[in-house]
Amino acid sequence: MVREKYIQELSLLKNNIIQMGELSQKILQDSMDAFVELDLELANETIKMDDLIDDKEMAVEISTSRLLALQQPMAGDLRLIMACIRIAIDLERMSDLAVDIAELTEKIDGGHIKPLDNMDRMAEIGGDMLKNSIKAFETADVELAKSTAQEDEKVDKLFYELWMELMDMMAKDPSTISNASHLLFLIRYLERIADHASNICESVIYMATGERLELN
Amino acid sequence: MENIKNENEVEIQVKDLDLWYGENHALKEVSIGISKNGVTAFIGPSGCGKSTFLRCLNRMNDLIKSCRIEGQIFERSKNIYENDVDVVELRKRVGMVFQKPNPFPMSIYDNIAYGPRIHGVDKKEIDGIVKQALHSSALWDEVSDRLDSSALDLSGGQQQRLCIARTLAVKPDIILFDEPCSALDPISTNKIEELIMDLKKDYTIVIVTHNMQQAARISDYTAFFLNGEIIEFGETKQIFENPQEKGTEDYITGRFG
Repeated sequence: MVREKYIQELSLLKNNIIQMGELSQKILQDSMDAFVELDLELANETIKMDDLIDDKEMAVEISTSRLLALQQPMAGDLRLIMACIRIAIDLERMSDLAVDIAELTEKIDGGHIKPLDNMDRMAEIGGDMLKNSIKAFETADVELAKSTAQEDEKVDKLFYELWMELMDMMAKDPSTISNASHLLFLIRYLERIADHASNICESVIYMATGERLELN
Repeated sequence: MENIKNENEVEIQVKDLDLWYGENHALKEVSIGISKNGVTAFIGPSGCGKSTFLRCLNRMNDLIKSCRIEGQIFERSKNIYENDVDVVELRKRVGMVFQKPNPFPMSIYDNIAYGPRIHGVDKKEIDGIVKQALHSSALWDEVSDRLDSSALDLSGGQQQRLCIARTLAVKPDIILFDEPCSALDPISTNKIEELIMDLKKDYTIVIVTHNMQQAARISDYTAFFLNGEIIEFGETKQIFENPQEKGTEDYITGRFG
């Protein structure tokens, strides 16, 4: 007899992660838009969206612990559940970081001290990594997971370049220190977001193959 | 299927074993190496051949008239299906515990002393053997003050441990368990599982179980049987976390069976 209810619950769990991933993408996109445009209204709306992510994470936690306790999942099912537990934590952390970005918006005094093209680029790569990591999860696509994780190098490179640039700016013109330090936080958050996307890729590879890879 | 490699010392090596019950081809080219001092579990749906295969390991199938066997089973480098093998001696060395506890209708002491006595063990040694077997089967503390009572008065779980003690008393190298816990409650099951894990220090254990969680909990190696074939054999942690065959995955995740 096929365990229909069980299989249905696994499918619901998977959908919860996919929805959580979509929500995280929106929070990241909106928080970055709010920060770049210094749009406080959008920033506040984005901050409120964090509750939705927390609810989803709780739903995943309840569902995974119940499946483990009641169904004794094995093999691919077990790996899917383990992956979901880990991915939910990564998505929740990514959303917290995106909210941190939204919260920086009101701290910027006056206007931005420099064009934010490279920060935008970091957010764009991080957002694509998030989108593709969830797509790889949805289709158990190991190759996509691997290529997505590789993108982290670009984010790291931008981070170091921007870091040096901001440090230099602060040294040369102390009046930029306040806003530049907020930008330092911004790039740190963006760099961490990409790291979490890499973690999701590792979880996808474990889910699909049982292999535990350290991608970054 | 290829001979399965096993890095640990192999106690039982089975090569291309085929078995028929009349026209029914019940085991097909089974090859497997069973590790010394390990617990090897056989899992699979009803009728897959796992109990039939277990019974080949001490030639219990010899008792079935329609049964025909081809292939080899090496234990201590000797093919147990050679004509000159002493089957009584073989079954002493390869003990068996069954699904339902089956104590003899006699005292606890006599149940255990029965085997050593018929194998001609000196009377003076028997007290020690009984005590040792009851200790090894984790039953001594519960029955030491009533060894003369009938074995049939024991609980199901105690009776099963008595049957294990009876098997241990003739000093086997290998113990075969055929669903030893299927008639027991969870607490008795737990005790038998603990006992099996403890016994592997001194014995090679092979267990057939319908309870996959039990196989996962207590075995070091697991073989998945389907339609008389071994579909997959490997370390238990690999079989239950990352099986390589779709049939194994489907069975252990409840997609069929």
